[in-house]
Amino acid sequence: MSPSLPTTALSVANVSLCYRLAKQRVPSFKEYAIHWLKGALTYQSFWALRDVSFSVRRGEAVGIVGLNGAGKSSLLKIIAGVLDPTSGDVEVGERVSPILELGTGFDPELTGRENIYLNGLLLGRSRREIRERERAIVDFSELGDFIDSPIRSYSSGMVGRLGFSIATAWPPGILILDEVFAAGDAAFTRKCEQRIAAFRAAGVTMLMVSHAADQILASCGRCLWLDHGRLVSDGAPAEVLAAYHARTLLPGSAAVTV
Amino acid sequence: MNGAFPYWDLVRELVLRELRVRYRRSFFGFAWTMVQPLLMMSVLHVAFSTIFRFEVVNYPVYVLAGLLFWNFFSQSIVASMNSLRANARLLDKLPVPKSVFPLAVVISGVINLLLALAPLLALLIVTGHPLRPALLFLPVAIAIAALFTLGAGLLLGPLSVFFTDVVELVSVVLQLVLFLTPIMYPLAILPERWQWVVRYNPLRSILEVFRDPIYHSKVPPLSHLSVALVLALAAFALGVLSFRRSSRRISLYL
Repeated sequence: MSPSLPTTALSVANVSLCYRLAKQRVPSFKEYAIHWLKGALTYQSFWALRDVSFSVRRGEAVGIVGLNGAGKSSLLKIIAGVLDPTSGDVEVGERVSPILELGTGFDPELTGRENIYLNGLLLGRSRREIRERERAIVDFSELGDFIDSPIRSYSSGMVGRLGFSIATAWPPGILILDEVFAAGDAAFTRKCEQRIAAFRAAGVTMLMVSHAADQILASCGRCLWLDHGRLVSDGAPAEVLAAYHARTLLPGSAAVTV
Repeated sequence: MNGAFPYWDLVRELVLRELRVRYRRSFFGFAWTMVQPLLMMSVLHVAFSTIFRFEVVNYPVYVLAGLLFWNFFSQSIVASMNSLRANARLLDKLPVPKSVFPLAVVISGVINLLLALAPLLALLIVTGHPLRPALLFLPVAIAIAALFTLGAGLLLGPLSVFFTDVVELVSVVLQLVLFLTPIMYPLAILPERWQWVVRYNPLRSILEVFRDPIYHSKVPPLSHLSVALVLALAAFALGVLSFRRSSRRISLYL
């Protein structure tokens, strides 16, 4: 490893995140006004993350597991810079690039090529950077002449291919894979896996949220387990996954407290 | 985090998207921008000259100038509010500066307004309205209107994320504002004791600065101009400040 580069890619220190939720859901202004007039607006705090700390070395691949609502997505959003933590600090050494859900940020009325620019810019790339990679993106997506047709005429597999091609056109500092993979046919899925493997080989740090244990075992050297917003385990994937499954798959597991 | 976010590149792309989607496939989209205000003008002309019976010299020019201004203002406000909601899924995943969306809306609105000036110019020629150099003041007037509108859009935009019904509420308020602004009627037809309501409507100052060069063929007097400019700057400052505050909270609500 070159000495000029810091060895820590990401450090999360005592991060907590609190959503202030209205006890009664007030999604409309009308209800909000009525509740406010009655003095009946009460809030309760929901802690999505509580005092989470860990750091990731450059080049590490870390899997994150936990039940729905355990705080995985909130954690990724904080790392990606979408949310600010209520308390604690996150230090990210490099550009984080999340792989989006199928088609997020695409405009169906625009052509594939126009969407390359729109999506690339939303990912924080400049027009010049996109122009440089335009050709490579089109080639990787295997869309051929379809690239100049509006996206609404694409199959979902084609949309996924284009999205993945744009998101991975630039080697990221930290790659975030949140439950999204395998867009399209088996051949393209293999191509995606190869590209991610190439990033890994080049020393790209990776965070992966997945419910598929074998995926984490196959590609991660470390695994974090989040439960009710707390980091309950951090270690080798085989051990963490064994403990996680023992807790979550056994009957009566809900009674077990942390 | 290497490199700043390509803010203006993205704004430019969002404006292009807006215009492409609107004008590309359909010649109709393009024609509509020009024809819709003309149709509206004709309806109002008939209504006001036969039913309400008041005299305004060259009413078609008066009302068309007002309508173009109103369309720009009201459509930009509603579109600003919708833009954040429409991009919720995206803003939930990427750290995109949220102000790009209302800003792109207002810039596209200005471009549509400029295109709609073509039928207005045609109307000026057809009706024999004097074409004076005061028309060259229009870019300044449009800049003031854009600044005011952007401020209002930034102020109101985030509300639509917090409350689902607020867009409808604002649409109703906009209807009221339309009637409280001398767009379809001249100020003088109102009973004298009610004129102050319209006179102190801030939108009226912005409107007059836009309409003066067209309808009165004169540069607006400095007294009006300075009021409009101060209002626009105040709206813009208020919008920026409140947007800064609320945009941090937006992500929690998406």
